[in-house]
Amino acid sequence: MKGAEVEREFIEAAKPEHPSLLDPRFIVAELYNTRNVPAVFWIDEEGWIVRGNDPVYAVRRNRETGETTINERYLEAVRDWVRAGPASAYLTPSTETQRRVGSSDEANQQAMAHFRLGVYLDRHGHHEQAVAQFKSALELKPDNWNYRRQAYNLGSADEYGMTMQEAMQTVGPMYAMPLELPEVPST
Amino acid sequence: MPVTIVTSETETSPPGARREGAALWLRSDELLASTGWEIKPEGVCRGEICVPLPEDRAGALLAERDGATWLDVAGFAGYVGQTAAHDDATETWYFGPGPEERRGQLDMLDAPDFELPDLEGRMHRLSDHRGKKVLLALWASW
Repeated sequence: MKGAEVEREFIEAAKPEHPSLLDPRFIVAELYNTRNVPAVFWIDEEGWIVRGNDPVYAVRRNRETGETTINERYLEAVRDWVRAGPASAYLTPSTETQRRVGSSDEANQQAMAHFRLGVYLDRHGHHEQAVAQFKSALELKPDNWNYRRQAYNLGSADEYGMTMQEAMQTVGPMYAMPLELPEVPST
Repeated sequence: MPVTIVTSETETSPPGARREGAALWLRSDELLASTGWEIKPEGVCRGEICVPLPEDRAGALLAERDGATWLDVAGFAGYVGQTAAHDDATETWYFGPGPEERRGQLDMLDAPDFELPDLEGRMHRLSDHRGKKVLLALWASW
């Protein structure tokens, strides 16, 4: 089982009260210029991004021990924003938000075209052609982990001549965008 | 071989599409549904953006055939700087956003709108939540 159906068991186990949406075509990754998951954006009442691209999950699971921990620090930041709104110390100044969100360069846009065509081709049973498109995307943007993880997930690392570990050694760590939270909450 | 055109929002197989070398010709009545572009007197338009075609460009990118107007959408994408990718074996083309569309909104920190289904197939639009704070969390199970 591959693709969006994989996520069903995770969503059904978590039983979220908020909408949990499926994006098998990577529309949001394209729109928000993300290159990995997780990526969290804070959007205010008027539709402005007031904090962006946080590489954070609410719950983290230790892959070795299976132990889960709740990310209290980040949840407190979210609660502070809910209470304090624009006065929350956790909002980032717009120049900083712009830096974190980044504007997509030409190479990434072209890579995204290859990636999204690859996703389409794989979904329609053209795996070999999809791999060719994923390779083109990764040649242009070797550090886009959305591309690499999805490509490896739909096939195998062998098709790309590089394991995930080797890719990280070659192109850099997976989470280049650190989570920066101020020490002092505003409320 | 039938041509398939994939964009950010649509996947279509316009029956009239014709591939000729590097060109992909679409008839004006199939153009809007497949690419979002429309041929108007002021140029080739999508939403509020209109791209006027100078005569030499119009000569290469537009054609009158079988009583209809055709646009070479691959050539046009190159002209306007719209990203594109294609697969020859399956005759599948992807056309991405144009430069005006991909700059601007995100640079302004104006959260781009989208519509996606939940597990039950119900559609949700980001802008439906205007007036409330939204925490947009992207994840995958990789």
